[in-house]
Amino acid sequence: MMDRNLSTVSASFTKSDLAKYPFLKESARYFSPIDLQIEDLISPDMHQILDRAMERVTLAITNFTVRPSNTEKHVIKDLQKEIFSFPVAIMLVAATNNSLIKKRYALAEAKQATSEMSLEPKDLLLKIAFDFGWKITLSPPDSKYEFTLYFTSFLQNASHFHAAKWKLINRKLSEGNVYLNKHDVERLLQEEIKQRIEKRLNNITLDQYPPEISEKAEELKKLAAENLGQGETDFPKIIIQEAFPPCINTLYAAASKNHHLPHMGRFALTTFLVNIGMSAESVTELFKSFSDYNERLTRYQVEHIAGERGSGTKYTCPQCSILQTHNVCKNRDDFCKRIYHPLKYYKNKTDILSQNQSETPKENSDNKNS
Amino acid sequence: MSSRDFVYSKFSEFYNNPSTVIPAPSSLEQREFAYLMFKERFMVRHKRFENIQAFQNVLTRNVPSDVYHSCTYYEKPDLEMDKKGWIGSDLVFDIDADHIPTSCGKIHDEWICQKCKFSGKGITPEECPVCSSDKFSVKTWPCDLCIESTRVETAKLIDMLTKDFGFATNELHVFFSGHRGYHVHVENEAVRSLDALSRKEIVDYITGLGLSVLDRDTKEKFAKSKKRGVTAKNFKLGDYGWDRRLKIGMAKLLSSATSDELKSLGLKNNNLFKNKDVILKRAIEENRWDTVSGVSMATWLKLVEQVKILESANIDTVVTTDVHRLIRMNGTLHGKTGLLKTEFAAHQLDAFDPFTQAVAFKKGTAKVLVSDAPKFRMGGATWGPYKNVKVVLPTAAAIMLILKDRAEVST
Ligand code: SF4
Ligand SMILES: [Zn+2]
Ligand SMILES: [Zn+2]
Repeated sequence: MMDRNLSTVSASFTKSDLAKYPFLKESARYFSPIDLQIEDLISPDMHQILDRAMERVTLAITNFTVRPSNTEKHVIKDLQKEIFSFPVAIMLVAATNNSLIKKRYALAEAKQATSEMSLEPKDLLLKIAFDFGWKITLSPPDSKYEFTLYFTSFLQNASHFHAAKWKLINRKLSEGNVYLNKHDVERLLQEEIKQRIEKRLNNITLDQYPPEISEKAEELKKLAAENLGQGETDFPKIIIQEAFPPCINTLYAAASKNHHLPHMGRFALTTFLVNIGMSAESVTELFKSFSDYNERLTRYQVEHIAGERGSGTKYTCPQCSILQTHNVCKNRDDFCKRIYHPLKYYKNKTDILSQNQSETPKENSDNKNS
Repeated sequence: MSSRDFVYSKFSEFYNNPSTVIPAPSSLEQREFAYLMFKERFMVRHKRFENIQAFQNVLTRNVPSDVYHSCTYYEKPDLEMDKKGWIGSDLVFDIDADHIPTSCGKIHDEWICQKCKFSGKGITPEECPVCSSDKFSVKTWPCDLCIESTRVETAKLIDMLTKDFGFATNELHVFFSGHRGYHVHVENEAVRSLDALSRKEIVDYITGLGLSVLDRDTKEKFAKSKKRGVTAKNFKLGDYGWDRRLKIGMAKLLSSATSDELKSLGLKNNNLFKNKDVILKRAIEENRWDTVSGVSMATWLKLVEQVKILESANIDTVVTTDVHRLIRMNGTLHGKTGLLKTEFAAHQLDAFDPFTQAVAFKKGTAKVLVSDAPKFRMGGATWGPYKNVKVVLPTAAAIMLILKDRAEVST
């Protein structure tokens, strides 16, 4: 009864749409803020919902999906439960306070949505895109491309992709519009959905969760530790110059020859060194040994980049595509073809180097282990 | 009076003159203002003003050599960077002869190695040929050819911004920079909030970085087939974006270049020249690329590469991707020339003459001892070349020579 009243007010999505795409703004009308009282979540009535929420996150961690494979697409039995399980899942994930789980969950939800969207008619996609504020229109039936999207909406999502076909320069851009087919739009929406969910997850900052939620969050963290590994930030304890990517070697060589580095080069070198584990102190020392430099300024800049000053955020090294834009990507080698980030280059190379080391004759590795 | 004092007094007169009008930037109260003190040579930053009059009062009092405001809109522009509260930023482009090859070869620029004092003319080398230091003092010169080269780049940029990006001409603000180049500011609600990564994609579009005309499958097929000299099936160009630009650029190049000119661009396959009418008509006009014989995929791709270089615009990549950028303020003096940063309508790009329309000092003369200056224009007349001579010049010309380190005030 209540649902029907509401749906006449804004009849844009059906309840079954919202069960499939619970991240849409409109699904909020199926759970008022009062429903979201934490005490309610753990009441016996909510048990099923909590179970389904737990299932969402568990599947995200183990199978990169949020719906059991035996659920037929389009057939969701209890729509209300399905919709409601989403904000609860968000709560669970936020309670883990683990960025790896957050990322994984957001991506799994987004991927699920994309596979649903591939079966939908174009005008539903359009409505979903409107929910994200896109400036998008459906092309007339006889045109070669199915959608036209204003380039800013395109860039906000496509700029995160690495494949050549997602670069704006390789797109049909005319009068501010990018011409796209349905598949492209689904892929871009996936990115948008992922970002929205990540944002929601990061906006929840509760000091304390009810014990039932915290318990489940602990379970999830264990599950994640078994399935997701440690993330990628663990670099070797010592600096291995042999594993530096060509761009960084070039900058390093120029700096040590006392050459002036353009701003972006200096920034790339500093952030790279700080991120692979060099202290701000030693980076400053390093620059000092190089040149007639301004000590106070260098120290200030390096400490700022290392997050020891100002806002306290540590700057990360720019990805390859940024260094390419500013002509800092120099002497690219074969190894570069498989990475998008200088830090990834370093990580992979150090892994290979240490593997080669452990593949040395048996007695050696025995020695090490003893 | 020292030369610096002379210029200072003129700058002061300019900012104190009631008829000097400095146009207010949009949303002035959300922007950060900054200026370089003429004598003390330090930058005053993080200033906020309620209106243009308040800022003009500061200029009158302080007489800076260079004046800037942020392209960025902030909640609190007067706080330090981390606390300003970023709202958005205009999309800005800077085209400067310093960063692009020009047809004059910069023969008028002089560089001196700071370490060993070795000097030369033309483009500053990467390192000193004598002591291999890379620190130079450079005396630049805004010559007509330098400015012409930047004008050509600016025209290409404006064409892309209007046709491909669809900006209306009233959203584009085009300026002579006051030195040797142009600025284009795009003020449009939708671009304000773009992050650095999205702006980078716009930069890559303008500069032609990462262009790949073949889709992945074709590329792989082509890489595998080592056959040369065969007609390239699968090569085609569409009607939008860079595909369209490439077609226009190819037509331009092929219909005007001689066989030798094509060769000098590395386009050695003479069929491009011999069959150019077929290419222009059947391929470029009618999109029947596969009917052109004697042009291989490799040749098409080489042609694309050359045309891309010709059709892309050489902008400063850092300026456009920086979402906290300060930019010279419209209507203020450039400390290296005494010329004004001046706005004009986009369609006036060809007609605008910096050496008459960006001149701030229109009255009076000054006697200067010129050490070395090429022939130059100023205020509708031509002057020089000069070598170690005393001359009486119009104020604007004298100021430019002094600021360019080419002359001293003489008695
Ligand atoms: S591809 Fe990336 S890692 Fe390799 S040189 Fe270029 S910027 Fe460096
Ligand atoms: Zn030298
Ligand atoms: Zn020149």
